Amino acid sequence: MRRNKYSLLRVISMIAFLLLWQAFSMLNKRVEIMNPNFMPGPYDIILTMLQYIREGTFFSSVGSSLQRVLKGFFIGSIIAMVLGYFMAKHPVIENILDPVFSAVGSIPTYAFMPLFIIWFGIGERTKIIMIVYSTALPLLTYIIQGIKSVDPILIRSAMSLGANELQVFFNVIIKSAMPHILTGMEVSLGLTFSALIVAEMMGADSGLGYIIVFSRNWFKVADMFMAMACIGILYSILKGILTLIKKRVLRWQMTSFDNAVE
Amino acid sequence: MSLLLFAFRMEPLMRYVKIDIRNLSKHYEDTDKKTGSDKSMEPTKVIDNLNLQIYAHEFVCVLGHSGCGKSTLLNLVAGYIKPDEGGIYINEGKEKVTGPSRDRGVVFQEHALFPWYTVEQNIGFGPRIARKSKIEIKEIVDKYINVIGLEEYRKCYPGQLSGGMKQRVGIARAFANAADILLMDEPFSALDEFTRANMQKELLNIWSDSNNTIIFITHSIEEAVLLADRVVVMGNGKILTQKEIMLAREERQAENSGFMEYVNYFKSFIQAS
Repeated sequence: MRRNKYSLLRVISMIAFLLLWQAFSMLNKRVEIMNPNFMPGPYDIILTMLQYIREGTFFSSVGSSLQRVLKGFFIGSIIAMVLGYFMAKHPVIENILDPVFSAVGSIPTYAFMPLFIIWFGIGERTKIIMIVYSTALPLLTYIIQGIKSVDPILIRSAMSLGANELQVFFNVIIKSAMPHILTGMEVSLGLTFSALIVAEMMGADSGLGYIIVFSRNWFKVADMFMAMACIGILYSILKGILTLIKKRVLRWQMTSFDNAVE
Repeated sequence: MSLLLFAFRMEPLMRYVKIDIRNLSKHYEDTDKKTGSDKSMEPTKVIDNLNLQIYAHEFVCVLGHSGCGKSTLLNLVAGYIKPDEGGIYINEGKEKVTGPSRDRGVVFQEHALFPWYTVEQNIGFGPRIARKSKIEIKEIVDKYINVIGLEEYRKCYPGQLSGGMKQRVGIARAFANAADILLMDEPFSALDEFTRANMQKELLNIWSDSNNTIIFITHSIEEAVLLADRVVVMGNGKILTQKEIMLAREERQAENSGFMEYVNYFKSFIQAS
């Protein structure tokens, strides 16, 4: 509700940015501060996008990128959840794995890409592994934290109501850890996208990252801008969906917050 | 003659031992291990060779100072912790307590409702876990929401309820699960006096319509005498005394001299411990 007051301002800011950019690119075409081809405006980008749509490569590129992100994000989240559960539950497992993950996790995931290509080839599998890896590792910390913060009295209470271990996991542990898990997912979604683009820039033949690299080779700067804009839009949409899910799943939390602050 | 015989046979049928606590002991290792001296390694006995029989449909209040072992006793009966010696047997020794079970419902001091479930989902949790049909679950939920008088709040989350309402939902949830034993760990101690008095009345109403056997932990002597069929006083992990309250529940008021006699009797034991 508080956002409404400023939402107009936010829209105006966005439009002003696009108009300024457009004005600069038009000015540049006249006085040539730099090569006009290197500084396309929003209008040129829209034209490029329309051209891609007409050629049919637009949706296939967006589609293959989206597919990779969703696949990697999904698999990565599941792996993090299972691993996180066992690490949170058994201190021995946590103390075996945690030092390794901390050591490996300190290396930026993109440094692994060339290595992954050597190990797994340049196929689709490598890209998914890359995305899974960069989703799961940061998410794991949030999940462990979330599971550890479950109130033991709720677990006891569920057990006395007849829940077995699996039912306790799904009805209590996951639900209670959800705020942490969703925050972790929001954080790792950004990293998932970075991994996607890096993976597509190294040895892909489709996707938005591929368009950036391919267009660079031909100095098609408008195409690069278009791909970047698409990445931004795609990320915003997925982040928006995640926010919606968060609002829905964590409704119980919102209600107590509403009660606290009128 | 045959009628008399029948009457004699009825008695043991109704008064069978529901919970049999035999030679129960629980120690806690001294957690202060930093000192390293031999003295500190001596285990503290929280429950010390305790024996107690509780009959079916009996309402037993366990009374004592904090640290007397009453909560530990409840956790042992619930199956959350394991005894070091002895055991707890249910239904005339037919079953031994080895872990938590749906047959032994628990109401906690801090209500322990699932904050992500609404009132009706919380009450329906037990039946849902037991895979009862949707219609059955709805019937049970409707019944207990009605009993605790929170029909308007059925779609609310615990975060939207007051302390007294939450505690009522906690009790309804335990009863809705059809456990025949209820373990209550100071369920009303966090409530204000007025709400507490109402809740005590409500609990007695629900209990008298049920077949439940109740162990009710409290540190309030008045509450124990008000609610219980029998009051058990604990101190240092042992039973100091126990006494049946031979007053009708309507007569249990502070103005009643019989009531105060019981209160003073238990008070003397608690002060001595």
